[in-house]
Amino acid sequence: MARIAIRRLATLVPLVWLVVTLTFLVVKLAPGSYADTLDHPRLTPEAREALRASYGLDRPLGEQYLRWLSAAATGDLGGSYLYKEPVSRVIGRALPPTVLLAGTALLLDLVLGLLLAMTAARRPYGWVDRLTGVLGLGIYGMPSFWIAGLLVLVFALGLGWLPVSHMHSVDAGQLSAQGRLLDLLRHLVLPAASLGLVGAAATARLLRSTLLEARASRFVLAARARGLSRSRILWVHSLRPALLPAITALGLSLPMVVSGSVVIESVFSWPGMGMALWRAAEARDVPLVMGLTLVGAAAVIVGNLVADLLYAVADPRAREER
Amino acid sequence: MKRAHRHLGLTLGLAAGLATACSGPAPQAPVGDGAPAPGGTVVIGGLGDVMTWNPYLAEDQTTDEILSLVYPSLAVEQVDYHDHPPSFAPGLASRWEHSEDGLELTFFLDPAARWSDGAPVTADDVAFSWRTQVAPEIAWLGSDAKGSILEVAAIGPKTVRFRFDHAYPYQLMDANEGLIIPAHAWGGIPYAAWRDLDWAGRVVSAGPFRKASHRPQQELVLERNPDYWRAGRPYLDRVIWRPMPSQVGLLAQLLTGGIDLVNGLDPADARRVAADPRLRLVSFPDRGYSQVRWNLRRPFLSDRRVRMALAMAIDRQAIIDVVHLGHARPAVGPVLSTMWAFNRALQPVPHDPAAARRLLADAGWADSDGDGSLDRDGDELAFELLTNSENDLRQDICLLIEANLARVGAVARPRFVEWGTLLALESAGDFDAIVSGWIEPTLIDLEPLWHTAPPGEPTLNSVGYSNPEVDRLLEAAAEAATFEQQKPLFDRVQELIVFDQPYAFLAETERLVGVSSRVRGAVFNDASPYFNLEEWHVNVARQD
Repeated sequence: MARIAIRRLATLVPLVWLVVTLTFLVVKLAPGSYADTLDHPRLTPEAREALRASYGLDRPLGEQYLRWLSAAATGDLGGSYLYKEPVSRVIGRALPPTVLLAGTALLLDLVLGLLLAMTAARRPYGWVDRLTGVLGLGIYGMPSFWIAGLLVLVFALGLGWLPVSHMHSVDAGQLSAQGRLLDLLRHLVLPAASLGLVGAAATARLLRSTLLEARASRFVLAARARGLSRSRILWVHSLRPALLPAITALGLSLPMVVSGSVVIESVFSWPGMGMALWRAAEARDVPLVMGLTLVGAAAVIVGNLVADLLYAVADPRAREER
Repeated sequence: MKRAHRHLGLTLGLAAGLATACSGPAPQAPVGDGAPAPGGTVVIGGLGDVMTWNPYLAEDQTTDEILSLVYPSLAVEQVDYHDHPPSFAPGLASRWEHSEDGLELTFFLDPAARWSDGAPVTADDVAFSWRTQVAPEIAWLGSDAKGSILEVAAIGPKTVRFRFDHAYPYQLMDANEGLIIPAHAWGGIPYAAWRDLDWAGRVVSAGPFRKASHRPQQELVLERNPDYWRAGRPYLDRVIWRPMPSQVGLLAQLLTGGIDLVNGLDPADARRVAADPRLRLVSFPDRGYSQVRWNLRRPFLSDRRVRMALAMAIDRQAIIDVVHLGHARPAVGPVLSTMWAFNRALQPVPHDPAAARRLLADAGWADSDGDGSLDRDGDELAFELLTNSENDLRQDICLLIEANLARVGAVARPRFVEWGTLLALESAGDFDAIVSGWIEPTLIDLEPLWHTAPPGEPTLNSVGYSNPEVDRLLEAAAEAATFEQQKPLFDRVQELIVFDQPYAFLAETERLVGVSSRVRGAVFNDASPYFNLEEWHVNVARQD
């Protein structure tokens, strides 16, 4: 297992380099620059030129790239044009909300997907199975921003149960610790559901299939022959092998969660890396785009490594084969 | 080149909308009634946030607007520019006087003014602010306003004198441009280090409010400045900003009571706000106008008759009714009809497709192949009509214009591109026509847009307009010593530009504000979203 980890970690650096280099080229080759996107009534063409020079945007593309790369290699991600502070500080502020949101969404993906699959697999082709199948496929076909709109319409604007946006209420700082936690959870529900429901629908369909496959296997037949209860067979004997593809799917869904959070955080004004990336891309804040991409790419690669390691833990054959 | 006060992209699109009972530029009555009582909080929603706490590093309008509540200005520009240039009310300076030769302007600061750390606001602060404004290391966006100021000298603790290189009408406006910053707190920091500093921890206020807390992109809290020198002001204890990345989120928060105010609603959203008994809808002209910019370097658009014909083919009233939902007025020319400098003898170009067809025929355009579109010498009268993809209103305008022009045989092909791309295409001259907008400054300076552009230099005259008589008149207006001398020159310039039609002037837009009915005493106008924030008050009994 250590070899797997070392081998995958060795690919981290070139992969991240490739991603940030491509990102730099895409952002830089698009017409316009940060100075061009500014919305300020006093911005004359002369002021725009002066601003471009003050940010080093008048230098050749290669020089800009090499400067950024050599600084990044020493841990200096530069300063954000937009926020007028070090990129590392912006990322440090945005990372915890994104981890909280993405973590909750992944948990929802796994737990809800598992529960739905187990329920459906208890009575295959029964009405519960058919209903969850139809609903699951419907949700899987929806983009997360559309689900977000629906949830806001029903639970925030319609019923008024949950807040529309932000991570805290106005004056949340004056609440008790318990009150602040409750307030945070209330604000977390809609964005996490918007992000996690699609994944849960996919996980449920995948797990249901693998559970049904496991039902037909010899070790389940043997368990039945030993007189074990249906629940025990399902939870203890069928689930572990059925989880293997789900672990892989969870690893693969990490990039979707990261990219989905760009939209969802912006819809809900969630102050995470997704919203920061949205604003940075809009403003052509290249250092911030690069910094966020670097962290996002590293997170996805490490996340997949963790999924691989979990797979190896769950299935000894994977360890042997590798 | 004087200030251009260019207003870019999306913001204008959001503002270019509707209004209810719309007033002129004369001062509006405050919303709400009831005697002011101290206390309470107002929560404001917006698309932007404070990006820096140093006003001379600010590069966005939201930061400027909010910092104007924290740092003082010498005087306060009033919204009374309909019949004469805007007047000024005392701000940090309680009075000012011109020298007899018109080359000096002396400000007398309010003796009670002091910073939130207890230090007095002095003439040294004003002189330090000017040095900062013109420092090349700072590259302040408004520095061109200071081009005629030779020196700013403290001639007493509370008396400061501005010396100009010549006498001109806008001396007070130029001297007043920019906020006053604390010399005693910031003066020791070398300018070279300013861009690397975290200014959030260095805020010293002399405005009505001071910084209480700021979580970027989440919440900014300003609280009443107890050291503010105007007794009894402000009324509010706190003002909270909740930035949101989308207009949809702002509307949802306003409708659910999460925020009290949104300044700049979409036209379609305004109806919902007006229908909500807990909210009020306020509208006012926002000094913005939309236009089609014709690239005069294109051979077919270099013909004045073609431009005039295209302008006559466009149904401005349909744009106002369909896109702005009735909350705009037809634009006439390069000066807004609400401004003192507007030539009131001018009228909007009429919507007259028949006359447009005649003009195009005069210019040699005919449908020789019977395909429904005009052509000349084998070339079709067809062009690309660009606008920015972030702006739904402008996209709708493009589609309406496409339909209007098709009726006279001209083919406009709308193309929507991202804002940075649009600017790059425009500045490179790589376009046929662009639907865009400007916010006009109260300082009337037509030179940046309409004077012949020097070759190879960055310019706002992207359409390539060049008229020697306009150039001569604009140069004379720049040399004029008084507004009275400028007015006839501006009148003639407007006549010439309306005749030449380098732009098809479309609509003068209005700004829409949705505000909770518990907010009282607020005056909304185009000077600032927070024009009289120190006078705002709330019904404290209904406060949560």
